[in-house]
Amino acid sequence: MEQQIQLEQTLQNIQKLVTNIETVIRGKRTQIQFILTALLAKGHILMEDNPGTGKTVMAKTLAQSISGANGGVNFKRIQFTPDLLPMDLIGSHIFDDIKKEFIFKKGPLFCNVLLADEINRASPKVQSALLECMAEQQITIGETTYLLEKLFFTIATQNPIEMEGTYPLPAAQLDRFFIKIIFGYVDEQTELDIYNDYLGIQNNLQNIQQVLSMDEILFLQDEAERVSVHEEIIRGVSNIVRGTRIHPDISLGASTRSGITFLKCLKAFALVNGRTFVTEDDLQILTPAVIDHRLIYRNKEAKQKALAAIMDKELDRLSKMKISG
Amino acid sequence: MAIGKVHSSKKVLAQLLLLALPTVVLAFYLLWDVNRFYNILQNEWIEQGLYFAAGIVIAIIFYSYRFRFITTAALLFLIYFIAYKILGSFTVGEFDAFFASVRFLIFAVLFSIGWITGYGFSRSRYFTIFWSALLLCIQVIVVSQTTDIKANEIIKAFAPVLAYAFYIIYTAELIRNMNEDEPAFGWFILKRMLGFGLVVLVLLFCILSYFKDDFNSIEKEYGNAQANYDRNKSNGESMTQENKDGSVSNKDQTRLTGGLNKGKRLVFVAKLDNFFRDSITPNPLYFTAYYFTKFDTLTQTFERDSLMPDNDLFRPDPSKIPLYFAKTDSTVIKNTHATLDRKVVNTEVYKVLLSPDEYLAPSTAFFCQPIPIPNEYKDQFRSAYRAKMWVSDLNSAYFIYNPAGNKMLEEFQQQRFDVLRKVNDFAPLDKKFLSYYTFMPSDEEYDKIKTLSQQVTANAKTPIDKMIAIRDYFLSKDDFGQPLFKYTNNPGIPGLPSANKLTYFLFDNRKGYCAYFAGATLFMLRSLGIPSRVAVGFLTENRSSKNPGWYWFYEDQAHAWVQVYFPGYGWIDFDTTIPDVNTQQAPQPDGTPPLNMQQAYFVADGIVTDIDTVTKRMKMDITKVLLHDKTFETKIAQHITMDVSLATVSKDTGVVPLSTIKKGMHVTAASYAEALKNITANDNDSIPSILQKIPNPVPVDEIKIIDPESKEQQKKNETAQQQQPIDWLNVLWITLIVIAGLVLLAFASPWLIMQYYNVSAKNAKDKKGKAFRTYRAATFYLNQIGYFRTNLGPQQYASDIDQRFNTSFTQFSNVYQKLKYSAVPLTSNEEQTVLSFYKPFVHQVHRQVKFKTRFAKFLNIYNTIHYFTQPKIS
Repeated sequence: MEQQIQLEQTLQNIQKLVTNIETVIRGKRTQIQFILTALLAKGHILMEDNPGTGKTVMAKTLAQSISGANGGVNFKRIQFTPDLLPMDLIGSHIFDDIKKEFIFKKGPLFCNVLLADEINRASPKVQSALLECMAEQQITIGETTYLLEKLFFTIATQNPIEMEGTYPLPAAQLDRFFIKIIFGYVDEQTELDIYNDYLGIQNNLQNIQQVLSMDEILFLQDEAERVSVHEEIIRGVSNIVRGTRIHPDISLGASTRSGITFLKCLKAFALVNGRTFVTEDDLQILTPAVIDHRLIYRNKEAKQKALAAIMDKELDRLSKMKISG
Repeated sequence: MAIGKVHSSKKVLAQLLLLALPTVVLAFYLLWDVNRFYNILQNEWIEQGLYFAAGIVIAIIFYSYRFRFITTAALLFLIYFIAYKILGSFTVGEFDAFFASVRFLIFAVLFSIGWITGYGFSRSRYFTIFWSALLLCIQVIVVSQTTDIKANEIIKAFAPVLAYAFYIIYTAELIRNMNEDEPAFGWFILKRMLGFGLVVLVLLFCILSYFKDDFNSIEKEYGNAQANYDRNKSNGESMTQENKDGSVSNKDQTRLTGGLNKGKRLVFVAKLDNFFRDSITPNPLYFTAYYFTKFDTLTQTFERDSLMPDNDLFRPDPSKIPLYFAKTDSTVIKNTHATLDRKVVNTEVYKVLLSPDEYLAPSTAFFCQPIPIPNEYKDQFRSAYRAKMWVSDLNSAYFIYNPAGNKMLEEFQQQRFDVLRKVNDFAPLDKKFLSYYTFMPSDEEYDKIKTLSQQVTANAKTPIDKMIAIRDYFLSKDDFGQPLFKYTNNPGIPGLPSANKLTYFLFDNRKGYCAYFAGATLFMLRSLGIPSRVAVGFLTENRSSKNPGWYWFYEDQAHAWVQVYFPGYGWIDFDTTIPDVNTQQAPQPDGTPPLNMQQAYFVADGIVTDIDTVTKRMKMDITKVLLHDKTFETKIAQHITMDVSLATVSKDTGVVPLSTIKKGMHVTAASYAEALKNITANDNDSIPSILQKIPNPVPVDEIKIIDPESKEQQKKNETAQQQQPIDWLNVLWITLIVIAGLVLLAFASPWLIMQYYNVSAKNAKDKKGKAFRTYRAATFYLNQIGYFRTNLGPQQYASDIDQRFNTSFTQFSNVYQKLKYSAVPLTSNEEQTVLSFYKPFVHQVHRQVKFKTRFAKFLNIYNTIHYFTQPKIS
């Protein structure tokens, strides 16, 4: 019972968080929800878009909105460049003149919220170092294993692959990101609002309120696991995942791991929307964000249609399904 | 390169089982059917079916791989060609080679059809439509080859193909759109098929039962028409015509042609109570159907003329007269103007092949009374009637020919000639009458006939002597002692197409059948001023020594002869056809005549008002009653109940089960019950008083169904001179109405479905059901008026709709989703949402969308189809 009340409280806080971030990032409600989904699903998120669409601000705002033990949560930002080395991320052993021994100097990975900016600019070596940490939640150097923070959330951004000087992430790496979102430009009205009020927005960014504690995030992460998923929704996930494998226009379909990830995201997304059960809507909204970046298409035209068609068929099935009882 | 598969093995299996198997079954049926009509197929329909089956099965399996049609077909033909060559080198002898190549041809054709069908099922979407159309065309051709066109036959020919056509188009589409990854693939198909089968069955049943009466009436009309189909494929003429229902009638016109076809089947059996003065020796009489008084010189055809003066032809339709009730026409007796040596004679005619509506009797008949056939003979004879004739004592089948050494008959002939010699002058006859019956065309050809007849009868003084002289002329011998005239069924035709066949017969050919002899005699008589006409019917041969007075009539006894009018004595039959020396006699009839007729004490005629086949009770409204030969009629129908447990029910076509009787039918019921024997009626009685006398319910032994036909139709039938065409306009109307009904139903279906959803939403009991049905109704409605859900989640869809129509769909949709996917109970607010959503929602949409738009949208069945079809993945 107590947990129930706490849950309701935190669910409200999440809404507050969304609204909070919205004061800074205008017109990006869905993207904010996706980010929070990835956060609650204990995953990471990849944002792809042109520079200047608010990716960095988004990450920063999110970090500032969460209260940690000492002020805000630990937020780090790494700008990826072609000459970046793995040790720049995870840290390195430095010789301590006083103690006459090598001590480990922790790199920026040891934080709560990490913004890995322009991840596809770094060499594959660095990319894989980062992604392994994201998956394992720990770093092993030499004989010692260093655990990362309990709350470790990576927001990676990348420029569209077509741009020059990028190392595209291989499919296996992309699979590690729970969600990939395209940020996109805001619509005309919102953009005008932003121009009219950019001072206010900057002000908001500086005075951002901490509406959610780190403990609450961890609590919600646990809670997300407990969200109930109807068996038909699970079947839907399975159908969609399997559908991608047999679709003639998709050369590489989604893996079973993707399916599990999808389920985790669905649960988290339901929480973000203040529900304790997953609906068709969640499935519909999340499918492109979770599945799309894991697929390899045979041709460009298919990219738009294939997944949408699979999902639409599934939605059709679910929407016509007679409810039991 | 590896050859990929087009279909999964599941799909191929489905195609084999659901498409190929029914097709093969139908092919067997059709081949069996076709084999009856084409000799070349040699009646090996099982082998042929197997060829076809092999073709279709191999092709379906083969084309489930990515093979191209044109190359494989070319290859197939190459194989055929090589096989044919090899076959040719193996066979010895011309006959063998021909036989083998015909068989190979049949194999190749059937296998190829099977192959192409298999390919079509496997690869081509529209093949099934083409294929169904082709099969229907084949059926049309096959049906057109049959003579016995009955509704049942037509249904038997078309129903399987039609049902198959529906089935195959539906199933092919079903399998085509199938997702074989669906776990319950087989069950899914089965479910659909069962549903579909049920719908088709119900539809077919409805159509058949609804149009049963129409079918029957068309069948009836068609059956009475003359069959176009000629059994022997020759241009020969026949003295009888075969009706489409298989029965036989006399033709109402006789054309002189190059050949005559004669059958050997039994047409009817008759008992004729005409005896010579010794009361022992039967005196057979020719049975007349029509009189031909006109001759069409252009087509060389003898024809009836309904306008002939002093019409003495009585032609009732026995199938329309109630059992035991008589139809009499005394004007024909008056019209014969014959008073000398005349008497009334009875005959009973038992029909075998003779058409039920045909009436044959020796001239001059004036009475017709249908009678039942005794039970033991019901399978032998189809119907019967009793006739009475005003018969001349002078008339006889023996009139001119062969008393065969029988002294009494020769004497009798002589006596009759003597009597007729008294007639010397036709002056007392009516001018109009005389000129009508002595009319003949005047041209060179007929003048030749006149000259000939004057030569032949130069020594004869009286008309009867002239008649005998003409007879003798036909029997005379030429200079070499050979008969001058010969009887033949195939006289041939004159070289000139429009030449006069009678002069050709008389002067050149001197060969012919009865119509030639009768025709020639007619004009020879007429040229001499003797009133005469041609009669057609059946000649009577006295072959039965066991049963005097009984005569058997076979098809080859259909005949034409001449009747001559003698003032005071009336029309007398004369047969101048010479015997056919070449043909054998018809098989000696040795049947048992249908004796032991039962006496009906009570007969009632009327309309059935109720029939109970379980308790065997029948209720009727009767208008006519016969009690011991006394007839009573009333305008006000009287109600009567009958016990039909012992009754035999019959139609003109034979015995039928009791269940054939339906409410509203016109029937005649007769009773032989002993209980009625002593109940008599006097002249003061009326039907109600008789009904008081007889027991209730009345036991009935015999029921005869009278074919329902309007009076007008009856009249038309009587005077009908030409065959009646099917009222195609009516058929067209019915078809159009059915099509229109179906179209209307199709267009009304969205509305009907909407109503169904509305009602089910309203009546749903529990919350969940209510929410589900309401949601379904709402989405169907929105879909129908053009707001599709495509690619949208429920919430998004709902919010779009809300924006458009200002409704509270989102709220409802959310509650619905909660109900659907979670176990969390609803709050009272949410419950309220479920209950109060639908009405304002519909109202709101109504307000925003104009009635015109909504109406138009609801006619759009594509939207409905869109709602029910699953989206396709690729």
